[in-house]
Amino acid sequence: MNDSVNRYWDNRFKRQTVKILPGDYYVCDGQEMIVTVLGSCISACIQDQVTKIGGMNHFMLPTKKGHDYEQSVNITDDTDTARYGNVAMERLINDIVKLGGNRHSMRAKIFGGGRITNTRIDIGAGNISFVHEYLHTEGIQILSEDVGNIYPRKVYYIPEINEVYVKIIQHMNNTTIIDRDISYIHSLDKYDTEGQVSFL
Amino acid sequence: MGKKILFVDDSTSMREIVGMAMSDAGYEVTTAEDGNDGVGKMENDKFDAIISDLNMPNMNGIEMIKAAKNNANNKFTPVIMLTTESSDDMKQQGKDAGAKVWIVKPFKPDQLIDVLKKLLG
Repeated sequence: MNDSVNRYWDNRFKRQTVKILPGDYYVCDGQEMIVTVLGSCISACIQDQVTKIGGMNHFMLPTKKGHDYEQSVNITDDTDTARYGNVAMERLINDIVKLGGNRHSMRAKIFGGGRITNTRIDIGAGNISFVHEYLHTEGIQILSEDVGNIYPRKVYYIPEINEVYVKIIQHMNNTTIIDRDISYIHSLDKYDTEGQVSFL
Repeated sequence: MGKKILFVDDSTSMREIVGMAMSDAGYEVTTAEDGNDGVGKMENDKFDAIISDLNMPNMNGIEMIKAAKNNANNKFTPVIMLTTESSDDMKQQGKDAGAKVWIVKPFKPDQLIDVLKKLLG
């Protein structure tokens, strides 16, 4: 993924900045900032407190057709859906380990999971419940969080100092974020039919 | 007695989910949390199959397979890699080390059970 990284200079934060989209993640050991816009998706910002290596992902769990609200908040019981979240978290954690980080000194901050559309299924709630459960199981402490509610968020994360700035998007001028979330959900449906098994 | 499987993954969630799927399918599962731990478990037991993650602290999956090939109990035990890595280069490294099957995460537990049935009968 890192060969198609979207970088720009952020004049306000005076930092080289990497913008990530749904399904992406980025890990760095330098002075970069990572930015993303979240609707019902979740971003986990994880930093190894010793080496200061950290990164952020941006993901959501696929919902099954016919899921109602009651089921979607218990989404972690369903291994079929939770495994997407598992992989999103694992890729982030693995890359921190590859750059020299250690699982035991990792701490997390989590954002997103907003109920940005007035649909019957609260996709955000399922995502929040998943990430809580996952980090608890993995023994990674959550230092802070800003999740739920009805607003999209723009999240700026600086791994080096483990600081996050969240900007609530109160008024959406168009449906870009919603459209992007929907097309991301559909791409997950397609992913679901794949299963790459190679006999070596 | 079910066939004995060693499952090595540094993620507790993966150990729980995959471990449960294999137990439900009738396999006797031993888990380890990294390559070193896996090699330790191999000292005491002969397994019918070893399933391993690739990126793990202390000793990664490829190094662990190489160690398995030098372990008297598990020299001939088939190895399945279960990893987020999908590049041909990594698969070749796995093959060179002695892995028989490469499964890319995310995967369905059923896919893994099918592979186990094919390998172990």
